[in-house]
Amino acid sequence: MMTGAVTDAEIIDKIIAAGKKLGYETEVYFSAGRGINLELKGKLIGEACGSETWGMGIRVIKDGRIGCSSTNSPSRWEDCLKSAIAGSKFADPQEWGGVAKPSKPAVASLDVYDESIAACDISTAKDLLERMLSAADGIAADIAGGSSSISVGRTTVANSEGVSYSLEKTGCGVSMETISGTSTGYEFDSSGFLKDLNPEKVGREACEMAVFSKDGGEIATGKYDVILSPLSVCQLLSAVVIPSLSGRNVHSKRSYLEGKLGECVFDGKLSLYDNPFEGQSARLYDAEGVPTKRIDFVKDGVVEAFAYDLKTAYRYNEKSTGSAVRAGTGGAPVIGMHNFCLDGKREDIFDEKAVFANGIVGAHTANGVTGDFSVELSNASWMSGGVKTDPIKSAMLSGNIFDMLKNIAGISKESRDFGSGVIPYLRFSDLSVIGR
Amino acid sequence: MESPDYYDIRHVNGIAVHIEIDNGRIESASGSFSDTALLRVLKKSGWGIVSIENYSSKSKKEINEYIQTALRYASATEEKVTLADAPSGILKVPKMKEDPREISLEEKCGLLMEIERAAAIKDVINTRANYTEGSGTVHFEDSLGHEYTYDICRSGYSVSAVAKRGDIIQAGRESEHTILGLNMRHKAEKGRKAAERAVSLLDAKPAKGGIMDAVLDQELAGVFAHEAVGHASEGDLVKEGVSVLKGKMGEKIGNGIVNVVDDPTLHEFGFMPVDGEGVKPVRTEIIKNGVLNSYLHNRQTLAAVGDGDAGHARAQTGEVPIVRMSNTFIENGDSSYDEVIAECKNGILLKGSRGGQVDPGRGVFQFNAEYGYLIENGEIAGMVRDLSLTGDILKTLHDIALCADDRRMNPGYCGKSGQNVPVTDGSPHLLLKNAVIGGMG
Repeated sequence: MMTGAVTDAEIIDKIIAAGKKLGYETEVYFSAGRGINLELKGKLIGEACGSETWGMGIRVIKDGRIGCSSTNSPSRWEDCLKSAIAGSKFADPQEWGGVAKPSKPAVASLDVYDESIAACDISTAKDLLERMLSAADGIAADIAGGSSSISVGRTTVANSEGVSYSLEKTGCGVSMETISGTSTGYEFDSSGFLKDLNPEKVGREACEMAVFSKDGGEIATGKYDVILSPLSVCQLLSAVVIPSLSGRNVHSKRSYLEGKLGECVFDGKLSLYDNPFEGQSARLYDAEGVPTKRIDFVKDGVVEAFAYDLKTAYRYNEKSTGSAVRAGTGGAPVIGMHNFCLDGKREDIFDEKAVFANGIVGAHTANGVTGDFSVELSNASWMSGGVKTDPIKSAMLSGNIFDMLKNIAGISKESRDFGSGVIPYLRFSDLSVIGR
Repeated sequence: MESPDYYDIRHVNGIAVHIEIDNGRIESASGSFSDTALLRVLKKSGWGIVSIENYSSKSKKEINEYIQTALRYASATEEKVTLADAPSGILKVPKMKEDPREISLEEKCGLLMEIERAAAIKDVINTRANYTEGSGTVHFEDSLGHEYTYDICRSGYSVSAVAKRGDIIQAGRESEHTILGLNMRHKAEKGRKAAERAVSLLDAKPAKGGIMDAVLDQELAGVFAHEAVGHASEGDLVKEGVSVLKGKMGEKIGNGIVNVVDDPTLHEFGFMPVDGEGVKPVRTEIIKNGVLNSYLHNRQTLAAVGDGDAGHARAQTGEVPIVRMSNTFIENGDSSYDEVIAECKNGILLKGSRGGQVDPGRGVFQFNAEYGYLIENGEIAGMVRDLSLTGDILKTLHDIALCADDRRMNPGYCGKSGQNVPVTDGSPHLLLKNAVIGGMG
């Protein structure tokens, strides 16, 4: 994208040169993109929104003091650099071994760009909605809302050591919200490629979910076998398990897994890893320019690794695992996951009768340190032989996610690819369910 | 060139400051700059919308081009939008006692450090504190000739402590946010309070789940007002048919002692001088003496649904204004706190909040207390941890048996449709009969 007469690459070069001149290691993380988002109000398109995004984060380091700042105004890059430098003066110094040096990626290239999306044409987004709506046609649920979106964007990380990596990727997504009486349904899908998106499935399943969950029966308080959907598993992992794998949380003693490296903490059939080369969030370099790699956090139940960015790695004498993402305040890199996967011995887990949880209400209220949680289930039902039989009106599930992952009754053969994670169904025995 | 039937532009030129301290070390002290506008147009059918970054540098000609782009988008829409008339106007932003922007970053780091260090007591293994300050100029204009500009600064801090003894780990947290100026002086006791809670939770027993009578403290009852009542009263959800309060206007939906209000004019954290579409904010009584009285609306949902007030449209910088709460609370009743506890007899007192969520269409809510106490024979007994509360909105409002006379307001943030806005929730202590409590004991 051009910004006036100056190109983005020229701005990045100017910032790095200005930072260097003042004696700072300087790093710029830059992103620009555009997208179209259509919103359904009921069955009709109520909003059509186009956006052009432009933003950058600057990080400077001198004598182990780190400062960050961000802006979405190209013309304010000097203020932004000044602010990063001012911030660095107040930050306590730490061990620092330098910004990333140029290096080769672990794999040659990634497939994250779909030419058919790149034009960001509104008719593409409209077509997705039409396909989703036609699949929903004839199912006795009211469509409350929904959306389709397409986007294309480029991110660049560059620094004063000569690193300059760019990645251009596309994205598309659909969602639908439905209701039948007081029974609600929701489904979504997203992908980097139009051909992999399934709007028909989203439309059909969102409607069928609302219809199926109508007139649910009560469940008596007690201990039950429970099958969690990939979405439910994902919600609990994101609230508790993923933060506990951050090297920063581990060393700050905010993680349940602190001091447990090398120990068999989980069920022997459980493995957890980050695979940055697949999915919509795939990348060859992390947000600091460090080459990404597969990280095996938990292998056959044993904790084998934690995630590190440069800052945390230097501080605790570890190595960066290429886990930096730009989600921090002021454009700062923080530790995150690229494509988090749960794997292990796969089997048929659907034979015996169990309570099935399609989703969870309130996963974010879980105790992030201890793993204790108590949540309401959404679209819960009885399941037998892989078939949802009778809907359950309301049920609350209480437990401890770490205790549950110590004793998994089964990992399904099927997985769901969320674009930023690949997660199967999990079966557990004897979980506490509270009825009304 | 084509001209729209209506357009509005909301531009925010802002600076965000953030300080983070972890175990006594200043991890970061950063500032970031934003300059974003959102342009909406109407022509024949629905909204055509363009979000524009680096807006200040745009010329009149470029803005006209954006209007043409938005019109092109609008032509892809199908829903017919009607905007209700609503009084336009702006309220005065209250004066700050001490403008945080005039305090040096160094001094703010020092003040936050005092709070954070106060949390480092025996058995505490990690302490952390954050300061956030968001300030900026908001400019609104529409094709009807309304134009408003205001400047506001929201600031506050949070402090948390993690305590550990043997294998047991617990956490405590305190936070305060305001629009009334710097609030970090002489606040070391907040750090201590977070730490002492984390330490005392080490000895607390896991709560036993089940159906029982419960007393909700002001903070958790405020979350109840927000999650269970406030969201379901939002006009956009009512319009799309995903609220259990749809079609219930004028019906008795709760005990006669229950009064729930949303008031964006109060000088609390959720205050706004003018709403996201130029409407003057008003106090709206959602539930009056147990009867559903008003929905919260923007101009579009007021026209479509009726029964309520516009002036509740809010937007995060660069996002589409949608119907939101601001300062939402349950009004005081006439019982004393002691009467509420005594009347509960045997049950549980739920204190603080770790957040909550609601499915307004299904009418089900879930939220977590930070901690609690058993109530035995009308008196407070042992401390318990890891408690949650779920329920059906319509049933629960009838189950509120007593409201105390000690309302308190708690600031925080609310998320909806991917947008976070500052809000305040409040309530007096409530006695809730037959509450569904989740616990692991």
